[in-house]
Order: sequence, then structure tokens, then C-alpha cells
Amino acid sequence: MASPETLDELCECIASEKGSIVPVGAGTQLEFGNPLQSADCVVSLARLNRITTYNPAELTIHVEAGVTLDQIQHALAANNQALPLDPWNGGSATIGGIAAANAQGPLRATGSIRDWIIGMTVIHVDGRRSKTGGRVVKNVTGYDLAKLYTGSLGSLAVIAEISFKLRPHFESTATAVAEFGSMADGLATLAAVRKSALQPIACEFSGPKPALWLRFGEHPRAVEMQLAQLPSASWKVHRGADETAAWERLRATYAEMGPMVLRVVGKLTDVPGIIDSYDPASWIAHGLNGIVLMALRDTQSADAVREKFPAIVERAPREIRKRFGTFGVQGSVKHLMLQMKRTYDPEGRLNPGRHIDGE
Amino acid sequence: MHAEVIHKLQQIMGKEGVIADETQLLVYECDALSVFKHRPDAVVFARNAQQVSEVIKVANQYSIPFLPRGSGTGLSGGAMAAEGGIIIEMQRMNKILSIDVENRIAVVQPGVVNLHITQATAPLGLYYAPDPSSQMACSIGGNVAENAGGPHCLKYGMTTNHILEIEAVLPDGAIIRLGNSAGEAVGLDLLGAIVGSEGTFAIVTEIVVRLLPKPQAVKTLLAAFHSVEACSQTVSDVIAAGIMPAALEFMDDKAIEAVEASVYKAGYPRDARAALLIEVDGFREGLDETSSAIVDICRRNQAYEVRVAQNDQERAQLWLGRKGAFGAMGRISPDMVVMDAVIPRTQLPGVLTEIYRIADRYGLVVANVFHAGDGNLHPLILFDSRRQEQVDKILDMGGDIMKVCVAAGGALSGEHGIGIEKKEFMELVFNEGDLEVMMQVKNVFNPRGLLNPSKIFPTRRSCTEIGKGSTTNTAEIGKRVEAVLLRGSGDR
Repeated sequence: MASPETLDELCECIASEKGSIVPVGAGTQLEFGNPLQSADCVVSLARLNRITTYNPAELTIHVEAGVTLDQIQHALAANNQALPLDPWNGGSATIGGIAAANAQGPLRATGSIRDWIIGMTVIHVDGRRSKTGGRVVKNVTGYDLAKLYTGSLGSLAVIAEISFKLRPHFESTATAVAEFGSMADGLATLAAVRKSALQPIACEFSGPKPALWLRFGEHPRAVEMQLAQLPSASWKVHRGADETAAWERLRATYAEMGPMVLRVVGKLTDVPGIIDSYDPASWIAHGLNGIVLMALRDTQSADAVREKFPAIVERAPREIRKRFGTFGVQGSVKHLMLQMKRTYDPEGRLNPGRHIDGE
Repeated sequence: MHAEVIHKLQQIMGKEGVIADETQLLVYECDALSVFKHRPDAVVFARNAQQVSEVIKVANQYSIPFLPRGSGTGLSGGAMAAEGGIIIEMQRMNKILSIDVENRIAVVQPGVVNLHITQATAPLGLYYAPDPSSQMACSIGGNVAENAGGPHCLKYGMTTNHILEIEAVLPDGAIIRLGNSAGEAVGLDLLGAIVGSEGTFAIVTEIVVRLLPKPQAVKTLLAAFHSVEACSQTVSDVIAAGIMPAALEFMDDKAIEAVEASVYKAGYPRDARAALLIEVDGFREGLDETSSAIVDICRRNQAYEVRVAQNDQERAQLWLGRKGAFGAMGRISPDMVVMDAVIPRTQLPGVLTEIYRIADRYGLVVANVFHAGDGNLHPLILFDSRRQEQVDKILDMGGDIMKVCVAAGGALSGEHGIGIEKKEFMELVFNEGDLEVMMQVKNVFNPRGLLNPSKIFPTRRSCTEIGKGSTTNTAEIGKRVEAVLLRGSGDR
């Protein structure tokens, strides 16, 4: 395994390799993506771990890909700023890995990583580097290629540096959690929240024991106002360290889901139907965008899901991923994606088979 | 254009759906950047994706360039037929197909006017956030092509952050759907790449947009300053204080003078050297404190007047001047060039000083009215196109301003796009390798280069290295780019 310490070293390392190249960060997403077809050279980005520039007054930060999310948040906290991301696999993930996997967590009111990236430097399979975007928060100069690299699992180019815009830290936050005796009660409360004036920054509906997790982040008085307006249920409100611990519990629930976890993409109003139709062993539904993470018992039910909804394999053992493609994209759209892959990587040497080229 | 082609287009569109008459085509020779003109050979008025696809297939058969056009309000020449060919007019595809309140989405056709989405959804307590100053006229399809911005992008993001799903016709005529109502990319985020591709990747024929709940409360205030430095320092201080305003707009004395002399008269203090229009929104709880904190910051920076709108009418009045500012310039100058650079926002005081200095050096007047919160400058170079000695200076002056912005760590365009207007400046921010990668990606979508040719890339590059596109008169257009930058477009 190669562990370059500078961008130049990374370029050299990639340029000199003639076989397949597999970039890795902290390795938190190894069960995501189609099974790798070969790995002649594993390139760790972990030592490219410098925060290049952080300008608090600018609300922007520029980092190397191997910087961890925790490292970024720690630097930002000193100035009461944040990058509003909380991927399920935790803050020890590298930021390059989070971008490459488009890893997400409960916090969705503020978008996902694609919405915060303002520029990127990538290293191409021949060792050349290129950049897209810039270091300013608003920019339409040239194509927005960072969108292509985000979620591409390093299959087009290796993400080496990322620039982000930031936001002020939420002035205050609080979380309300309620458990329900029946699915019907849980879903009714979820619907009531959706139709109310509440604006949670995270809204998760988990099961099999139905529970609703709402997080509010605003001016302290706006948080209190929203807590006061919660639809009736037996809410338990968590603040401070207790709040962090509550979300760690949901994170643990996520970690235990399996063996096959599917990210089903529905509408908000589809959520009850999705949970009802496919009988998941456990689930976490994003009440802000209609995405349902669910643990399925077999790939047959996963096939049934894909007949009605787009669905991504969030994670699964290799054996299952060999039989069931991660993205399930078909037709002319798949053709276009494969064309893109061939253009960036004509010999198929970057993370071969891991992305759309493996299904 | 060959009669056979016209006949085929008529077969697809019906006789009344095609214009090929030279006089009628004059209307379509430019977008709002009216100095770059090239007449298309035909215009077709699309009513559905199928027609767009069939027209594209004809264009491919005869190797004719084609491009989409919405309301023609673009400011970088994106909807101009640089190499002639067929303009596919999208304005008749102007229906809001559905509004889904529970899922907070609307399905719209590309010709729908931006503001109409907000008007249609307002009674339901929702709105569409991106609000370019031309929102009363610009089409949502054009917004998608250009990744349009607007004052409220500071807090709510650009067009790209609000487009969830599209139907698009590829340059070979294939109709595809990308995205979904959750905005979740499945496979590669091709949708994200298409938004902002300036109509060079695909023609968008249906769009699912995210709707947001209308903020419970809004506070708008105007702060007047005796110096540009104090005014721009206030911008930095507001951001540094951890406040995320919904909008933070800057106007200098020239802009105020023009607005106050026009129908957009907003009652701005005429003796101010510069003023800020600041808006915060959200829950009622806490908003007064935020607004007071902003007032304090303004006062600390020697604002000599701070006016907080007391009701919706006063609020609308304050915005009227800002939104009408470009149009109002006609009151103080016969012509102008609108620039659209972005700089790191802390660089505002220095860069603005430098811009005024450059204007002095060239003996021309520059007015500044822009989105200060995100550092998106709009220097307006005022001139008289009848005075050749003024005209002669504008290209150099614009170039100097752009160089200052790039040197400060900025970019060429924040929201208007590169189009034909700024393509020769691309090498200021991207090197050869960066541009090559972008051209490769363009080739994946647009391998024959027939869709909207001669845009974005510097001329010599786009015709030599890619070599696949129609290059009939690219070099000539390249020369014209320079020549044409010399004249302003004072019609907004």
C-alpha cells in the first residue's frame, strides 16, 4: 500500500502504477459499492491530512482529502462554525472518502456533501491533476465537475483536495425522541410533523420498534418554540451531552442493521408504503426527503423494491453485492455513465468494478 | 438553410411551429447580452420532449448546430446561436404540471417563468427559493442551464441545490430522466453536472423543483454609509458574527442615484456613498435579536442611517430599487456592461477600491450593485456607445477588473455563466489540463458538438483540440468576442 504525503507524491504514485489503483481513506465504506475486480495498488490518502487554508471570516475551508471530518469540525468549532455533515459511519471517516461515497447521515435539512463543496482537485489515472470550481462560495465558472466526482467512489479520478463553504454553528440544538406502541401511531405522528410548521434539521423514523427522532437547530427560542409545538406523543427531550448520546444510539442501530441494507429512494408520502410493502427487519427512514434505509432478509425482496423505487445498496456482504448491483441503473442513463467512466479511465484501472462499471 | 430541412422541421412542428423568415429571425439573434449577435437559420417552438428529440434528430442528420432558448434573459450569450442553426424555443412549454404540497415539490416545464412557481405555490405556504433579478421574466429551464443565482442564494443556495429531477433530451435525441424527488444521485450525479452546463450537455424538458416553506417572519433593513470601506467592512463583520442573512446586497452612490431617478425609486438615502440591503428570515422567535445585532454592527461601522422596514409594503419598496437597479442605469447612462465576478468576501474593501481606481484610470464611470454576502460583484461599466473613445476602453477595463478579481482569489462568474462573453478569459482561472477535462466531459454528452457550439471554452482550444464539432466560423466568432465586448447592453 502506498501512503503519499504530498499531492506531488500522490501524482507520482498514480502515474507510475500501470495496474489497477484503489484509493482508500479511513476504510469506513468498504461494504459500499460493487465488489472490486482487482487491486494492484492500494493508495491510502490518510497521510494527506492537512487543512490547507481555513479562513473563518470567509466561511470557507480548503483541505486535503485525507483529513477526517472530526479534524475539520474540531478546527471549525473554535470559531463557532460547522460543516453540517454527520455520516452514519462517523467523523473518523476522511472527507475525501465521505465525498467519494456520498456518505450521509440524519442531518439532511442542510443538504448533503454535494451542497457544500465549492471546489476540488483530482488526480487522473495517468497522474495528471485538474481542478474544478474554486475557493469562492458562489461560482459558475466552467462545468461543476465536483458533482460528478461526489459519489463516484473514486472511479473517475482520485479526489485529492476539497474546498467547502461552511455555515455558522447552530445556535442551539435539542432532540426529541418518542417511541410508539404501534406503527400506525408512529406514522401518524410523522405525518403530523410533516404537515406542521416545525422545521427539524433531522427527522428519522426508525423501527422495528417504531420511534421518531426529531432534531431542532436554531436560535434557542425558536428551538423551544418548536419543542412546545410537538404533536402529542410521549416525547423525551435530549440536550447537550445527552443529545449526543441519543444520536449515538441511533448510529449504533444503523451499524447493527443487516446483513443487506438498502437505501430506497421514495417520496415523503411513500415512506409508510415502503416500510409496509417490503417487511424490513429494521429500518431508518429520513422524514425530510423520503429515503428509507432498510435491512432486507434476501435479495428477492430487494429485486421487488427496485421494480418500484430507485434503490442503492447501502452496504452488504461481498457475496450479496456480487449478485445484486449497488445502483441498479439501466438503459441510456447507464450507457451515459459508462461512457463517462471510459472517458476518464479508458483502461478501467481506477477502482475497477466498484461503481457502475461493475454491474 | 436548405428548404428540405425546413420542410422536415415543419413536418414535426407544424407550419406555425417553425420560423425561417429572415426578418422574423432577427428577434432571436441574441439574448439579453445584446451585443453578441448571430442569426439562427430557423427557430422551432417546442411543445413537448418528443418534438425536441425529433428536431434534434433532423439537426444531426444534416449536421446543423442547435440550442435551446428560454426567455432570452441570459447575460452571457448562452442562448445565442453562435454558429447559426436551429434555436429550439422552450417558451411554449410553460405549464406547471403539478404541485405536490405534502412532498414539497413542483413538476414544471422548462418555459415556466421563475416567479410563476412562487406565485402558484404561495397560497399553499410554499415558494421556490432561487430568485435571479430577472425572475419576473426568466425561465426555469434557463435557470437550470445557467445554474442561476439571485440575492437569496446566500442562505438558500443556487439553482443546483433546488433541482431534484429532470427529463432531458441528449444531443443525439435520446430522452432520459435523471434524479428523483429526494434529490438523491443514483450512480453518477449526471443531473448535478447538467445543471449549470450552459445548455451544452442536454436540453431540459421537464424539471422537478424543491419547494420550501415560506419563512414565518422576515426582517429587511437598509443601512447607509459615508464610505465604501465601512460599508464593505460591515459585510465581513455580519458574516463573521455567525449571522446567516437571507440576503446581503450592496449598492454604491451611482447605483442609488440611478434607482432614485427611475421608476424603481425606493427612497434610498441619496447622500450615501454606499448602502446595504440586509434581510434575515426564519422563525419569529429570535429574529428581532438577530436584526438588532445587525443594526449594532452597522452602527459600529459608522452607518449614519439604519432603516428597518416596518411592514411588507416598506419591505417591497426597499427591494424594488435593488431588483430594478440594472434597468435603472438607463437614467444615468446610455449604455453599460454588466460584469459578474466573484471574490472572497473579505477582499471586498480592497477589490472595490481597486475597481474604482481602474475606472478613474480609464476615465469611465463604474457603478456597483451586487450580492455582497457571497462576494458576487456586478460592476456596471457605464458608457456611451456613440463615443468611440469610450467604447475603445471597455474591453481593457473589463479585463483589468476581471484580473483584479481573479488575483484576489476569485472567479469569472458567480451566476451569469461564461457563455460567449467570458470564454476568452477562462485561462485566467483554469489551466490547459483543467479545460481539457471539462471538454472531455462535454464530449460524453455532446460528442458531435452540435448542441450550443462555441461557448465556454477559449476559441483556439475549442476548435483545435476537440476537433469534432462544427467549426465553421469559430475563429471568426473568437475575434468578434473581443470586438463585441466593446459595446454594452443597457436594455435591462
